[in-house]
Amino acid sequence: MNSWYLAAEESGGGGLDLLLPPLPELIGGIIAFAIVFIFIWKFASPAINRLLEQRQSAIAGQLAEAEKAKAEAESLLADYRAQLAEAREQANQIIEEARNQAETMKNEIVSRAEQQAAEIVAKAREEAQAERARALAEARREVANLSIDLAERVVGEALDREAQLGLVERYIAELESK
Amino acid sequence: MDQLASRFFGNTFVLAAEECDLTQPVCVPEDFTELFVLPNIFGQVNRTILLMFLAALIVVVVLWAALRKPKLVPGKFQAAIEALVGFVRDEIAVGIIGPEGVKYFPYLLSIFMFILVGNLFEVTPAINFPITSRMAIPAFLALCTYFIYLVTGFARHKFTYLKEIVWPSYVPIALRPLVGIIELAQYFVIRPFSLAVRLFANLVAGHTMLSLLLATGIIFIGAAIGGEVSILKGGAGILWFAMGLLIFLFELLVSVLQAYIFTLLSAVYIEDAVHFGH
Repeated sequence: MNSWYLAAEESGGGGLDLLLPPLPELIGGIIAFAIVFIFIWKFASPAINRLLEQRQSAIAGQLAEAEKAKAEAESLLADYRAQLAEAREQANQIIEEARNQAETMKNEIVSRAEQQAAEIVAKAREEAQAERARALAEARREVANLSIDLAERVVGEALDREAQLGLVERYIAELESK
Repeated sequence: MDQLASRFFGNTFVLAAEECDLTQPVCVPEDFTELFVLPNIFGQVNRTILLMFLAALIVVVVLWAALRKPKLVPGKFQAAIEALVGFVRDEIAVGIIGPEGVKYFPYLLSIFMFILVGNLFEVTPAINFPITSRMAIPAFLALCTYFIYLVTGFARHKFTYLKEIVWPSYVPIALRPLVGIIELAQYFVIRPFSLAVRLFANLVAGHTMLSLLLATGIIFIGAAIGGEVSILKGGAGILWFAMGLLIFLFELLVSVLQAYIFTLLSAVYIEDAVHFGH
């Protein structure tokens, strides 16, 4: 590595020469930098500032829009939820009503059927009663007539039919009351 | 024609190959300013000056392409440039100086982009020469920052600016002359000088290391293949070259870092002038 130091010494303070810029390079550097500076000053920097502002406002606008859309969606969701709940309630109500209606209908039908059955039974009973009464009266009259006939045959003459009938009737009534 | 081409495309390797002493462990040019002082191509214009304009052109084209029709939802390229520009704007200009930093943003972006591209030329294939390793750009830009913060300071605080530097009220009276002298040197000499030299020296060192290591590596390996030197020397060449590649990656970092530091310190100095005494 000695040659390094030798080389530096031989150059006769070349390092110091390097510290002083030669005029052509200085002028070249100044012009080149001036180009860069004027370009950035007049074009790049305003463009960047404009761009950043635009982006800022665009982002702010989009954020506000998104916020609005979100609020809208939320209110819409709440609406739907309310509607859904309402619909469900309505459905429940309808079902309840239908059930009530069916219940009353059923009760009505059953009671009507019961009533009809009772009516039929009563009628039948009435008819049976009447039939029995008629049969009884018939039998009674027959018995009376038979008794009178028998008595006539025993007595050998016609009896006062009306009086005899009353007698028999009374007798039968007596028997019945016993 | 050959000579013109070498002047145009860079002559590091040509110089090194011609002058390399194969008996030495490393090829060193006789005068290492040859690595930096490039011969003229036409008139007073040398490769360095052409590269300065190329750097300006690259900055302009890149920003123009990214911001010509900027989209609200940026593509990859626009997003990358925006990130870079936004970093200078939000982290350096506004971040250091405050809301007023927007006013200084064009200047800060200009120095950042110009220095960044100029530095990256160090590790750009086919260019391989950082224009910031020539004092012209660091010195000029440091002077720009110097004038900006001095003008800002005097415009905002009038005579108090100078008075507070020379006779600072925040130190005990006994110390004021001493601190005053230090501060005076600091504000008027050390700041611009250190700003310029920091950038310049970093890039000089980087370019020197890269040139010597990569050139030595290639020359030694070539000589070993050609049978001029021993295999051992060829091995050393591989070692130098590998080291050069390592430094190459390191210089990539340095290029970005030095552009950032220069811009950051400029912002810090401007901030100090804007909010002087706070």
